[in-house]
Amino acid sequence: MRSSSVQNRKKFFFPLLEGLSLLAWGVLLLKYSFTGQYKLLIHPNYYSLVLGSGLILLVLGIIKVKSIFNNRQPNNSDHISLFPPGLGNSLLLLVAIAGLLIPPKVLTSQTALKRGVGDLPLTTVQPQAFRTASKPEERSLIEWIRTINAYPEPDAYSGQTANITGFVLHLDELPDNYVMLSRFVITCCAVDAYPIGIPVKLDTNRSNYPVDSWLTVEGSAISETLPVKDRIETNAITEKRSVVIEARAIETIPTPKDPYSYR
Amino acid sequence: MNQLHDAFTLFLSLLVEAMPFLLLGVTLSSSLLFLISEKQLIAKLPKNPVLGSLVGSCIGFLFPVCECGNVPVARRLLLSRVPPSVAISFLLAAPTINPIVIWSTWIAFGDRPNIVIFRVLFSAAIATIVGCIFSIQPDSRALLQTSFAKRLQPITTSQSDSISPLLQSGTFLLGQGKSIPFDDSLSVDIKQANSSNFRSKWQLFFTNLLAEFSELGGMLVFGSAIAATIQVFVPREIILSLGQDTITSILAMMLLAAVVSICSTVDSFFALSFAATFTSGSLLAFLVFGPTIDIKSVGLMASIFKPKIIIYIFTLVAQLTFIFTLAYSYFF
Repeated sequence: MRSSSVQNRKKFFFPLLEGLSLLAWGVLLLKYSFTGQYKLLIHPNYYSLVLGSGLILLVLGIIKVKSIFNNRQPNNSDHISLFPPGLGNSLLLLVAIAGLLIPPKVLTSQTALKRGVGDLPLTTVQPQAFRTASKPEERSLIEWIRTINAYPEPDAYSGQTANITGFVLHLDELPDNYVMLSRFVITCCAVDAYPIGIPVKLDTNRSNYPVDSWLTVEGSAISETLPVKDRIETNAITEKRSVVIEARAIETIPTPKDPYSYR
Repeated sequence: MNQLHDAFTLFLSLLVEAMPFLLLGVTLSSSLLFLISEKQLIAKLPKNPVLGSLVGSCIGFLFPVCECGNVPVARRLLLSRVPPSVAISFLLAAPTINPIVIWSTWIAFGDRPNIVIFRVLFSAAIATIVGCIFSIQPDSRALLQTSFAKRLQPITTSQSDSISPLLQSGTFLLGQGKSIPFDDSLSVDIKQANSSNFRSKWQLFFTNLLAEFSELGGMLVFGSAIAATIQVFVPREIILSLGQDTITSILAMMLLAAVVSICSTVDSFFALSFAATFTSGSLLAFLVFGPTIDIKSVGLMASIFKPKIIIYIFTLVAQLTFIFTLAYSYFF
């Protein structure tokens, strides 16, 4: 008697867990696609993939839960599973619930410093799109970096007007009146986000602009020689002529809804 | 706390990225359960071991599953008396040489077509070579794990033994003195799949899809958690310093591939996060070695092969990957 009731419960419990984890994942993916939070996690190109799989998972979950209550359980004894039964589903369910409760977070300066701010990564140095036609004051931060990568002579940019938005990064090797205005660039998902940045020269000490605050900087480009940390030998600091934005007006703004640039 | 939240975000990002691909893979593998008849497939297999291994490594195109999904398929192939060389090369190649993985690699590394092309070529070559090596052993039971070999035995003996047609079911064998329970759950699968009843077919499809999804999803959660932790708590400078020269960077990426164990459908996106800091050769090592051998798939393979054989496969694949990618980094 007792063993049969345990078996009954098992028969009911594991499929229910399966159904719930499907439902939870469907809801989570749909939540991300409707609130726009997916932009913090992946490249917007994948929007339809996320939306589509959210819908499919939701439908699968509904079918599953319905079939439990209609008591039409096909028995599948033959499944080679590495996990004890239910563990995979419990994990999935747990993660989905955690994802629903804890919103994804915008990557911050800490991550940027860990990944090393600089120009574009070494492997993507080949210019991808070089448009001389773009007006300097309309260039975004990533477009500035791209243009500089394609044509690195700092003097060529002297006097051009810049109007860029990014978050503040304090680099130890830069003098006190410089901040690094940075942004993360995403190729595929947040895991591969890498920071880019351009030095901004301030009138005041940089402590007025705390790390991770978002700024819109208006100014003009000048060419200056600044100390730059070597990317590979971490302690070596070399002098390098680089493009610097001399700030005329700085506005502190709230964290934008889509804080990342996309490639 | 901040870092933990960062890690959680990256973890979610990996999962959200991988979920659609996982769903796609699981759906395809389940629908193939009854779209393709294994019996016909086996009848068409060439007898020559080299050709057999080559074909085996291309079967992945018909069963587009990642390394977690191909183990059940390989088991089913072995039970249908496919030579082990074919099954082994299928096992090694299928995670890479299938449309979904090639497609996702293309999306991730579209700007560097070399990586996509050589990932496929190297995986096919390694799978074929290893398959050929194991074709030298004609008796497949010597390779297989004991309980799995026992399951195979009744099939082979009862079918070759034409004297006693009554023993076809394989429940009792003369000369052994006791009956051997023939676990026919795997053949039941095929029977069910061949039955024309649409409803039961659909049910089989649905159950298989859910079972694979939950199991592989659980695996994915593990893999992503490890990957996100490494990303956040190990500064890239440490990994960077590991990957200084050609040889150590290849070894470091192979180690990473074995430890992280992400599914081949999504591992190219993971590799992309290292694209900035590692050489193409070492990325290739990650992409070739990762799908064939990792901690997770060794666990799954233990349900088929003897431990000794797994170690052989592991060593062979590791050495071949190393040699091939080293050659690649010198020539390109």
